[in-house]
Amino acid sequence: MERRNFLKIMAAGATVVAVNPSLIRGTLYADDGRMYAAYEKVQIVDAAGVPIKASSLEKEVTYIFNYPYAATPCMLINLPESTSQEVELKSEMGETYVWKNGVGKDRTVVAYVAICAHQLTHPTPNDSFIKYVPKSTPTMAYSKSGIIVCSSHLSAYDAAAGAKNLAGAAQQPLAAVVLKVADDDTIWAVGILGADKFQDYFKAFKPEFKEFYGGTAQAKQLVSISAKTVKLTEFSKEVIQY
Amino acid sequence: MALSRRDAMKYTGLAAVTAASSGYAKGNEGAKAAAKGVLLSPAPIPAAKGPRVVIVGAGPSGLTIAKYVKKGNPNIDVVLMDKRSVFMSGFISNLVATGVLPLEFITHDFLEGARNGNYTFLQATAHEIDRTAKIVYTNEGTVKYDVLVLAPGIDYDYSKWTNGDAELETALKTKFPGAFIAGSETLTLKSKIENFEGGVFVQTVPGGNYRCLPGPYERSCLIADYMKRNKIKGKVVILDENPNITIKADGFHSAFDRLYKDYITYMPSTTITSIDPHKQKIVTELGEEIQFNDAALYSRVRGNKLLEIAGVAKDSVFNKGEANIDPFTYQVIGDLNVFCTGDVRPMGFSKSANTANTEGRIVAGNIVKYLAGTELSQKTWASPHTTCYSAVETNPLRAISVNAGYAYDATKKSFGFADASTMEKWDTKEGEDAGKGLLEWGKGLYRDFFN
Repeated sequence: MERRNFLKIMAAGATVVAVNPSLIRGTLYADDGRMYAAYEKVQIVDAAGVPIKASSLEKEVTYIFNYPYAATPCMLINLPESTSQEVELKSEMGETYVWKNGVGKDRTVVAYVAICAHQLTHPTPNDSFIKYVPKSTPTMAYSKSGIIVCSSHLSAYDAAAGAKNLAGAAQQPLAAVVLKVADDDTIWAVGILGADKFQDYFKAFKPEFKEFYGGTAQAKQLVSISAKTVKLTEFSKEVIQY
Repeated sequence: MALSRRDAMKYTGLAAVTAASSGYAKGNEGAKAAAKGVLLSPAPIPAAKGPRVVIVGAGPSGLTIAKYVKKGNPNIDVVLMDKRSVFMSGFISNLVATGVLPLEFITHDFLEGARNGNYTFLQATAHEIDRTAKIVYTNEGTVKYDVLVLAPGIDYDYSKWTNGDAELETALKTKFPGAFIAGSETLTLKSKIENFEGGVFVQTVPGGNYRCLPGPYERSCLIADYMKRNKIKGKVVILDENPNITIKADGFHSAFDRLYKDYITYMPSTTITSIDPHKQKIVTELGEEIQFNDAALYSRVRGNKLLEIAGVAKDSVFNKGEANIDPFTYQVIGDLNVFCTGDVRPMGFSKSANTANTEGRIVAGNIVKYLAGTELSQKTWASPHTTCYSAVETNPLRAISVNAGYAYDATKKSFGFADASTMEKWDTKEGEDAGKGLLEWGKGLYRDFFN
C-alpha cells in the first residue's frame, strides 16, 4: 500500500468495530486527574483493521498510530522489561503529574505522542527523527539505550518512566497516551496525559497537513472507533537515528 | 557606570542627531526640535500592560527569550526590537551561499514571531540606554523597561589586521566580508561563489571564541564541493589562526584529505600580518605571501558595541567588550534588571544558534521567576546545549555533528564541555543521515523562533 493511501485511511479512521465497553476492564494506568485529557476511546488495530493484541507487539519496535487527531502521530512500544510505576513528572510550565505504569500482562506496553517536546520534530511519511532506540543500539544522545531519542536536537526520554527527560534540550516529557488493555488483550487509547504540544503543532505544519492529509481541518479531525497502527519503518520512508 | 539621561543625551545620542540634522538643515531650529521630539517621545507601541521586558536584538537568543517569557507569564509585556526588518540566519547559510538551498530557507518574518508569540516587535535601532531611568532610546523614540535583555550578538574586531585604519577596515568589510553576521554579507558571499572563475579563494579562521566554530571549515568544504561540481579550477586556502581545526577536527581533516585533496589547502597556526584588499594579497608572520582571487576574511569577534553604550561591557578571556555579567544568572554585575545573553556572554560557550536557543529558554524562565520576586543564583542555573551539524559534501548531503552540554569547574572558575559526543563519520550511513538531520535541526530552530 502506498504511504499516501495508508495515511488517508488512517485519517479517515472510520473502521467500524463493535465496541462493548464492558469488555474493557482494569484501571487507567495514568490518570490521577491532573494534566489529563480524555479523548474518544479508540481501539488499536493493524493496517487491515484487525485488532492488535498487546502480547503480539514485537519487543522494542516502534509502532505508529495517529491519535487523538488524524495527524498527531503517537508511538506504541513493547519494552523489554516492566516499566517503573507512579512516576512523578513535570511540564515545562512547572505543573506536576503522575504517570502510572505500562500496560499489558507484564506492564511493558507504553505509548507516547511522537511530537518532540523540544521543537516538534515528528514522524512524517518522508522521514522520522524520533523513535525508540533498542537496548543494543548505541545513541549519541545518552549514555545508555533502551530509550526514546529525537535525533534532530538529541533530546532523550525514558520510555519506561513516562518519557521523563534524560538528556537534551527538551524541557518536559513527551505527552503520554493513556492506554487500556482489555481482558482479551486488545489495546485501547483513551486520553492524553501531560502537556501536549498539539496547538503549536497544528500552527507549525500547515503545508505538511495539506500535503499528507488534505488540509489543517482534516488533520484536526478526531480519530474515532479505531486507530490503524504500523511499524515506524513502514510509516516513514526513512528513519534516522544517532 | 550608568550615565544619567541628561548626560547620555549630551554626549552621545542627541549630539549625533544634532550634528546630522544640522548638516542637512543648517540653522533650521524647527527641524532640530522635531528630531528631538521624535527621539524623546515614547516609541509608537502600546503602553505596557504589565511589567515590561524589553529585548534588544532579535537573533536566536532574543527571539527565544521573547517567546518564552510571554509563555511563562502572559501578563508580562514583552517588546522585542531589532534594527533589521527581516530575519536571516547565519546557521544553514553556507548551504545557501553555495546554492544548495534557497534563500527562503534562512529568511524569516519577525512579524510572524510576534503574532504567534503575542509580543510586540519594534523595528528600531537602540542608540542609548539609561539604566538609571530604565529607558532605551531608539530612532523610533523611547521605550521604558522593567527588565532589559541585551542580546545584540557580535561585532567584528578588525584591530589585529588594521590597527585602527578605518579605510582598510571598510575596504575589507566591503570587498571581503567574513559573512558570519547574516544579511548582506551572506548575499555577497553567495555572489562571490556563484561568480568564482577559478584560482585561490581564501577563508580565514580567527582566534578567540569566534561565532560558529565549525563554520569556516564547513564553508571551505562546501566551496570546494561547489568547485568540484562545477568543474572550476580553484582552491580554497584556509588560513587558520588556531593550531588545529577547532571542533570536529577528525571529520573535517578526513573530508579535506579524502574529498578535497586538490581543492583545499589547510594552513594552521597562521597569523596574518598584512592584508592588501586592492592587490588581493595576504602576508603572514612567517613571510608567506598569498595572492588570492577572492576571499571571505573572517576577523576576530567582539561583543556588540551596544554593551559599551549601556556601560555593561568588559573584556573577557576570549574577546573584547563582552558582557559584564554573573555567569549563572546572566544579570549585569550591579544591575540585576539587565540581562545579557547569546553571543555577548563572556563564558566560553559555543557562540551558536542552538546554544543561544537553549540558553534563551533557561534565561526566559529565570526572568519570569525574577519578576515574581525570586532571587537568581547558581542554583537557578542550568546548562545550555550545543548541538550542531556541519555539512561536508552536498551530493548526497553529508554532515558531521557535535552534541554537548556544559559544567562549571569551581576550582578553575570556568565552564567546560560536559557529556560531549561527536559524530564525525561523514562517509557512513550516519553521515548521510546527519545531512538530513542538519536540515531538520535548522527547521526545528526556525519553528521555535517563529511559531
